[in-house]
Amino acid sequence: MTVTEPTVGALPRELLVFEGARQIADGDCVIAGTGLPLLAGLVAQRTHAPSARLLIESGVIFPKVVPTPLSVVDPRIMHAPSKLGSLIESLGGFVQRGLVATGFLGGAQIDARANINSTWIERGTGRVRLPGSGGANDIASHCATIVVLTSHEKRRFPERCDYITSPGFLDGPGARRRAGLNPVRVKVVTDLCVMEGDDAEGELTISALMPGATVEEVLANTGFTPRVADHLGVVAVPSPEHLALLRDVLDPDSRYFPERLKNGNT
Amino acid sequence: MAVGVHQLLNPLGQARVMSAAEAVQSFVEPGAVLGLGGQNINRCPMALVHEVVRQDIGELTVVGCNLSLPLDHLVAAGLVVRTEQGSGNLEKFGTLFSWRRAVEANRIEVRDYSHLSMASRFLAGAMGLPFMPVRSLLGSSILERLVAEEDAVVTADPWSGEPVVLVRACTPDVSLIHANAADADGNVVIDGVTSHEVDMVRASRHVIVSVEEVLPAGAFDDQPERVTISGAYISAVVEQPWGAWPTSVYRRYDYYESEIDGYQKSAKAGDEGPRAFLAEHVTAHADFDAYLAATDPGASARTAMAEQMRSLL
Repeated sequence: MTVTEPTVGALPRELLVFEGARQIADGDCVIAGTGLPLLAGLVAQRTHAPSARLLIESGVIFPKVVPTPLSVVDPRIMHAPSKLGSLIESLGGFVQRGLVATGFLGGAQIDARANINSTWIERGTGRVRLPGSGGANDIASHCATIVVLTSHEKRRFPERCDYITSPGFLDGPGARRRAGLNPVRVKVVTDLCVMEGDDAEGELTISALMPGATVEEVLANTGFTPRVADHLGVVAVPSPEHLALLRDVLDPDSRYFPERLKNGNT
Repeated sequence: MAVGVHQLLNPLGQARVMSAAEAVQSFVEPGAVLGLGGQNINRCPMALVHEVVRQDIGELTVVGCNLSLPLDHLVAAGLVVRTEQGSGNLEKFGTLFSWRRAVEANRIEVRDYSHLSMASRFLAGAMGLPFMPVRSLLGSSILERLVAEEDAVVTADPWSGEPVVLVRACTPDVSLIHANAADADGNVVIDGVTSHEVDMVRASRHVIVSVEEVLPAGAFDDQPERVTISGAYISAVVEQPWGAWPTSVYRRYDYYESEIDGYQKSAKAGDEGPRAFLAEHVTAHADFDAYLAATDPGASARTAMAEQMRSLL
């Protein structure tokens, strides 16, 4: 691959990675699957959070990831860890045990109350079967902070999920407590905005916009009507050095950014 | 039905070395609850699953945490009536297309769990317990269905009074795994992550393990700590180099993307694609070695993936 021109602006999905990375504090233990969440964790480790630790659900504890894992059992993600263990060790011994501050999740639907669906979608008279929970339900049940990185499409943001695979605020304030779950704070980062909320609020609020996006655009592409924060921030763009870190070091073959190649950015 | 019911190991500690054909014929019966090892693109028991397809053993209930390529082969071959799993997908390589179509068409019954709750079911089975408490699933649609089907119960922790979920033990009739090595007594060495496999094996009535290399009995006498799973739980050991191909075996070989992509492309198009794929890649061949020789003549792909793994260690 040729070296990236550092002056090229960040692509929308690259901004998701950097805003995701900002959710990780130095010293946090973070669980992430492959793709943009893992890249966010790796960016954090190499920038503001050098002592953040990564946990992978398959049993990889604190790896030093090499480019570019396509799976949670990829040899590239098993590199130089504290230990190669099991699902029970990662999801039981760390996540359910309460040792993981932040969990990254994906999903086909996220609703107004931050519940996530990765199992079944109703479509017309039929249903579409999705992969199912994996470790997502465990992560949403036990981590204090959940971060979702996703593209912003109306069908992904219904008022209420067809099926709750992973609990957000369930039916609203206090519902997690009633179900037997600890409180959670959720941050959803999309290519248009950042939405966030906690148990006390029980719903998502638009807290920041991606550069160039408008509230109208967000609302037009959202199936529910989120509250809008009084003071809306704008998501910061990465420095040329940080962009080069992502493009040249962490995903040098653009395995997760085919659009880079199409745009002629590399 | 075997799910949630205790079963004795039988016969304890009498593993025998045999061919995949003999092992599958001896231990996999129609209607069995079949545990699958491996996860996503790593250490999937491909050679053993090829043999189940070849012997056309059907009416299977397939159980595991992440079910991937081997499940999709079994579904495409029409051998599966039910699955109990944490997920069915291949991550970057896409979803399990045959499984998805079969589930959407109600051709197979499916029971969803989270990975931790499914792994906890195997842990219960491994310890001879009828159930295991978990604090996952609470408030979810997964739990709603499991409670309706009487597969899970929400109760109060007897000490704190806080809600916990009890999930039933999962005790497969037979489990299939692929590992790095075993000795002739069935003592198994797994390098890299073990996903859900150690507990699933210990919860199973019979276990067939295929390995890259069979070592003589007593090979681990001077380093027993190398053994991941005692031969006490193993019924049959099958020597099958490249037995997880095209998925990876940590320390041995990387996954082979083009073969996985090839299957996924055929599976995505409809039921005919994967059937034709299985006819060409599985049933056309007498055994797994013949499949490897036909799809990778000269072993150039295998050599390259072994080299790639060495470069990553």
